[in-house]
Amino acid sequence: MRIHRWYKKKKKNDNQQKDNINPEVDDSLESLIKQMKVSNDFIYFKNDQSPQPIHLYYFMSLVDSEIIHRDILPYLNRESLTSLQKLKQELPIENIEITSDVNKIEQKVLRGSIIIQLDKSSTEVALIRAELNKAREVSLPEVEFSVVGPKESFVESLDTNLNLIRKRLPIPELQIAEYSVGKLSKTRVAVVSIEGITNEENVNTVKQRIQAIEFDTINDSSYIVQLITDNKNSPFPQLIDTERPDRIASVLAEGKVAILVDGAPHGILGPTTFIEFFSAFEDYFLNWITASFFRLIRLFAVIFSILITPIYVAVLTYHYELIPKDLVSILVISRREIPLPPILEAIFLEIAIELLREAGARLPTKVGQTIGIVGGIVIGTASVEAGLTSNVLLIIVALAALASFTTPVYKMGNTIRLIRFPFLIFAHFWGLLGVAICFCFTITHLLKLTSLGRPFLEPIFPPRISDLKDAVIRLPFNFQAKRPIQLQTEDTMRFKQNKAKDKREIDE
Amino acid sequence: MKAMQRKVNERYMITASLVFFLIHSMQIGIGILSYQQDIVKSAGNDSWIAVIFAGLIVHIIIWMMYKILKNGKGDLITIHYDLFGKWLGGIFSLIWIIYYWAIGLVVIRSYLEVVQVWMFPDISIWQFSLIFLSLVYYLLIGGFRVVTGICFLGVVIPAYLLLTLIFPIEFTEFRNLLPIWNHSLKDISLATKDMTLSYLGLSTLLMFYPYLKNPERSQKWAHGGNLLTMLLYAGLMILSIAYFGQGYLSRIIWPTLTMWKIVELPFVERFEYVGISSWALIILPNICLSFWAASRGVRQLLRFSQRKALIGMLLMTWIIIYFLQERQQIEMLSSYVSMTGFYLIVIYLPLLFVFSYLRLLRR
Repeated sequence: MRIHRWYKKKKKNDNQQKDNINPEVDDSLESLIKQMKVSNDFIYFKNDQSPQPIHLYYFMSLVDSEIIHRDILPYLNRESLTSLQKLKQELPIENIEITSDVNKIEQKVLRGSIIIQLDKSSTEVALIRAELNKAREVSLPEVEFSVVGPKESFVESLDTNLNLIRKRLPIPELQIAEYSVGKLSKTRVAVVSIEGITNEENVNTVKQRIQAIEFDTINDSSYIVQLITDNKNSPFPQLIDTERPDRIASVLAEGKVAILVDGAPHGILGPTTFIEFFSAFEDYFLNWITASFFRLIRLFAVIFSILITPIYVAVLTYHYELIPKDLVSILVISRREIPLPPILEAIFLEIAIELLREAGARLPTKVGQTIGIVGGIVIGTASVEAGLTSNVLLIIVALAALASFTTPVYKMGNTIRLIRFPFLIFAHFWGLLGVAICFCFTITHLLKLTSLGRPFLEPIFPPRISDLKDAVIRLPFNFQAKRPIQLQTEDTMRFKQNKAKDKREIDE
Repeated sequence: MKAMQRKVNERYMITASLVFFLIHSMQIGIGILSYQQDIVKSAGNDSWIAVIFAGLIVHIIIWMMYKILKNGKGDLITIHYDLFGKWLGGIFSLIWIIYYWAIGLVVIRSYLEVVQVWMFPDISIWQFSLIFLSLVYYLLIGGFRVVTGICFLGVVIPAYLLLTLIFPIEFTEFRNLLPIWNHSLKDISLATKDMTLSYLGLSTLLMFYPYLKNPERSQKWAHGGNLLTMLLYAGLMILSIAYFGQGYLSRIIWPTLTMWKIVELPFVERFEYVGISSWALIILPNICLSFWAASRGVRQLLRFSQRKALIGMLLMTWIIIYFLQERQQIEMLSSYVSMTGFYLIVIYLPLLFVFSYLRLLRR
């Protein structure tokens, strides 16, 4: 409790501090320029050739020199240029701002605008946008790859990403609210929603939480996820991040809120449910029967991946009687020469797999693959031959690892691999009972979670049967006319449901 | 000092239909593993009739409870306060609170006993109960919504255990049930009385009633929950009599567990290990709901922090569990609590019902 209070006090102090990093600088344009001139990439340039001398200031590293050379400089030599208003008419660039607000000038110039000043002593300047936009080309989705369907994914530029979404939803109701987050990074964060569909409360929750963020640099959308998520002490992700614009467009239409962050190739979606983490977007490209089958497989894979090693440990430590006669001989043969108790055997192999995965993820792709294969085969076989682990466990652990990779959302896959370890420890102490207790802990935790204030375990609890249409199995599209209750949308119908539901008579 | 809460914030309320699971999960617990023995001793092959009678009696009690709660507008504690005043009402409330708490204690200790007998003879009781009670604490600080959640999942997830009842069917002899009604009314009513004990968990309804959205509409769900319990008990009773025969059945302590011994799957033998482990999820709602009701009662009665009351109760439970080592002690405690429950629900509640009606009429 005391720590909590102390923490609160500290927070208050932080708030009192001024946002300005260097409080000594006073607020005049002159001192701003003086401060910026210290950097070598800040250019000051006086155009003497023109009839009226013009002062130009900009950051070389932020502006597109082509815009300056092609669209600005040629027009500055004209004679008619006597005031900033005239300049605004002359230049072939829209949205030229004339202001004397120093804060605004500072903001704009740091985002790649050019300052034009006619008279060195005047405080009024014109700001011309000329920022350099360097971003990766839109490329294939790598994390959420799909065999069929669209193959574009987000890049690190917010404008490109918004363009990818707007192209898919060309409606005026698609609203984008932009915020600047981060004391140092001033990252642009966009909250995207559809007016008339998305629940206002959800949008406001997101907006409030984003505005309340106190942080210095936001380098990726995952920073935002961690800062606005409901329960920060949970290993379970409560907001989905996706790199697919088609997924974002589709769930926006369903009534969710999306968050995009400049500099991040991932969008964030909320509110979401636990089940949604196991639905790949590809499910909507396939026929509903196939899609449902794969979803079931994935769900089974998750349960299998979490429980199989703990069950192995539990059974071999305490409940030998549980295994049928024919199976027990196989286990006995494979474990005959192993000196370690099942828990150590299991932890050894689990950690080996984690190491391989971690090494594979850190190394460059080509090397990573080699490490994965070589490590898997060599270490696996060697440890079996050396008598450190049993064959059966090797199969089980490898299958469990494989199963954990079927989760379409990467962060959820990580969580699943993590929660195996408490299960293992419980299994070691109380056998199957321990597994059950740990399971109870897990579902209690899941019951307590919320995503943007909406229940996380929905549609399982609170049970909402109509939302099951797109949960464990995905029913055909004509069953999906209603938006999920979970999202409490303002317009609950996605499209008009086909009323002709009566069965066709045979041969009529 | 907090005020007595008569209305609950709507944010914490639950849908009426979930009462089905609250009632049902509270009734099915540790009792269903062993209820057959006592009933069969007095009613023999007619036990299933007693099961149905008891279920019908409980239906009437549910109806009464709803009448009391509707008249009283609030939970049991506020009704006591309104009807009997601060002191007398307080004493009645205290008895109920202790009863709720004792249910939780008995359930967790009896479950531990099953675990000791069937799975781990030398499990460390204090370690295990520490972990289990911290699970209960973790769950209860989530509030009533989470408790309801666990009641729901505690019914839905272990439902797969019903499938295991297919295995004994192969070895049943349904002629064991004949002749029907060969016991005297006295025998049957004695069995009915014993059987009522297995249904008693539903009394927590008196505490969570203010948490229901549209409480009027929830009544049919409460009856539905009880109906399912009745069908389960009756079905299992018929199956047990057909499988064991009444003579043998009256001599086994845990017939349901014994039946599991016959289950054999290609990858699992001795299914009772799996069953007992899964049972943790079935008794968890029992324990949570009763501790919730007790701590909520303390909060309402003494206007004390529910969280602190809960910590106190769990600590007390932990200490008592540690000292309850003998089977006789556990049996004794269990039968005391059951008898208290019987008197409170079958005798006291109808009186309360009459009293609240008289009060209403006078007004």
